[in-house]
Amino acid sequence: MLPVVVIHGGAGHVPRDRSDMSISGVCSAARAAYGILRGGGNSMDAVVEAVIQMENNPTFNAGCGSVLNVKGEVEMDALVMDGKTLASGAVSAVRNIANPIQLARLVMDKTTHACLTAEGASQFARAMGVPEVPLQSLITEYARMRWQKNLAHDANPVESQMGKMGTVGAVAVDREGNIACATSTGGLLNKMEGRVGDTPCIGSGSYADNNIGAVSTTGHGEAIMKVTLARLILFHMEQGQSVEAASDLGLAFMKSRVNGLGGVVTVDPQGHWAARFSSLQMAWAAAQKDTLHYGLYTGEHFTQSIDVPNPH
Amino acid sequence: MSAVIVVHGGAWAIPEELAQASVDGVKAAACEGSSVLKRGGSALDAVEAAVRSMEDNSVFNAGHGSTLNTDGEVELDAIIMDGRTLASGAVSCVKNIANPVSLARAVMEKTSHIMLADRGANLFAESIGMGTVPADSLVTEYERKEWEKHKNYVAGVMEDFNTQWAHDTVGAVAVDCTGNVACATSTGGIRNKMVGRVGDSPIIGSGGYADNFIGAVSCTGHGESILKVTLARLILSHIEQGKSVADASQMSLLYMGERVQGAGGAIVVSPSGQWAATFTTERMAWAAVENDVLWYGLDPKERLKEQLPK
Repeated sequence: MLPVVVIHGGAGHVPRDRSDMSISGVCSAARAAYGILRGGGNSMDAVVEAVIQMENNPTFNAGCGSVLNVKGEVEMDALVMDGKTLASGAVSAVRNIANPIQLARLVMDKTTHACLTAEGASQFARAMGVPEVPLQSLITEYARMRWQKNLAHDANPVESQMGKMGTVGAVAVDREGNIACATSTGGLLNKMEGRVGDTPCIGSGSYADNNIGAVSTTGHGEAIMKVTLARLILFHMEQGQSVEAASDLGLAFMKSRVNGLGGVVTVDPQGHWAARFSSLQMAWAAAQKDTLHYGLYTGEHFTQSIDVPNPH
Repeated sequence: MSAVIVVHGGAWAIPEELAQASVDGVKAAACEGSSVLKRGGSALDAVEAAVRSMEDNSVFNAGHGSTLNTDGEVELDAIIMDGRTLASGAVSCVKNIANPVSLARAVMEKTSHIMLADRGANLFAESIGMGTVPADSLVTEYERKEWEKHKNYVAGVMEDFNTQWAHDTVGAVAVDCTGNVACATSTGGIRNKMVGRVGDSPIIGSGGYADNFIGAVSCTGHGESILKVTLARLILSHIEQGKSVADASQMSLLYMGERVQGAGGAIVVSPSGQWAATFTTERMAWAAVENDVLWYGLDPKERLKEQLPK
């Protein structure tokens, strides 16, 4: 059953013309992460590599391709967590870097802190020699078009937020049984400057514990925070629920209690995994026993050999 | 049912010279919150009032009297949460604000977001007309001296210090006469922290959590350890499994000690008015008001009592 990696490219409603790109993006990320795991690499390296690939892919709302805040700027959040030690690293509202997930990992590895925010995160990036990139390099035409559309008087920001909640995330268990998770996002379209969502908040955006499992979440950030969704799902697993049942219980509770939709990828220490969502779609992929699994709509589950090139 | 408020002034090795002032401060804060509840105020109003009282009191590491970061500046974190709706508001790394807990409440009530950081939090404060105070007005002579003393230490040494020193976050939990619970937590963080460091306090489920169906918790102690175990939510999960508020707190703090070698403290209240103040550090200043009786303590197992005027 080990190693295993499960990836998501965000829960929400992906326009038809973009759904193929989302699926091929998560499949590529899963393949890259699985390559690391299959070669004996550890789960932390695998989830970080998967998320870097999706940050670099303009299809997703993370790194390049992030949604814009109310001022038309990009502010990003990211979190990594190591299930062996429960160590974690996060950055929130960080600007002008290509791969927030790498900076989050540096916070974990190189500081005694767990989270650095905004200007402090930038100062730390400079101290670590992480190159600064121009704002424009993170902004796609598509992101700018949606931002402008949302500034119009008759805009329905909530509707368009559902259009692309594409936070990205990964969970993995390596051959040693070590578990890790990573989540990265550009946040919410037309968010206020300085808004921090669920992604960098431990227990909400993700959580990993070698004794229980790992979860990475996506969806409406404020709802996810209200129920600390990642930790909630793991509590259900501690009570004996399967990865699938625990994920569904957590998502159902979020819907009934705070009316929020979202999705999760979940693994347990034995390598059982689930990709579940209450939103219309979630692009997801998993790799285990040299097989690639992927899907977009509820109930969709395609499989193929990991060594065959991407679908679509 | 009777309303209850519990407050803490931080779990750490409180030195003798701060002991009396810390106890007086938490007693005053508990009474402040209790008088809000007695007037028919909500749990949310009560925890905000109690935390404001400690933010204004320079003996505590929150608002006025906060610790300084490596640049010698004050950066503040706070959270507030309403157990009825699970709505919450938080600010991280905000500067020049005297009462971050009230700004956190404004984030909850006036935006569709939960957390605002750094400059964004300050821009929001400005947009709602919340006055700023000069940075120096939040800095006490005591903290300036501590900063001077420690600024030459390397980070590793400071971390050892920090497990013993200066994480006196403040917090409050309450249940009002209608059974609504709320929590609030506010802090200046740890001494000589990096610029932009966000600790556990503003992180939902770590620094605090409140749910009318389970209870409310506010945490204090070594922030990075509290984050690793999402302490507030962990305590509540044990209560959900049928543990008493005291046992749930004790189990969770012991787990934090075993799993990640962190010490801390927590205050908890249940919707039926059960409460506890528990810590694994040397000391924690805490106080509670229930049925016109003021309870308080500082050292382990200390539990003193004063009758308040009806």
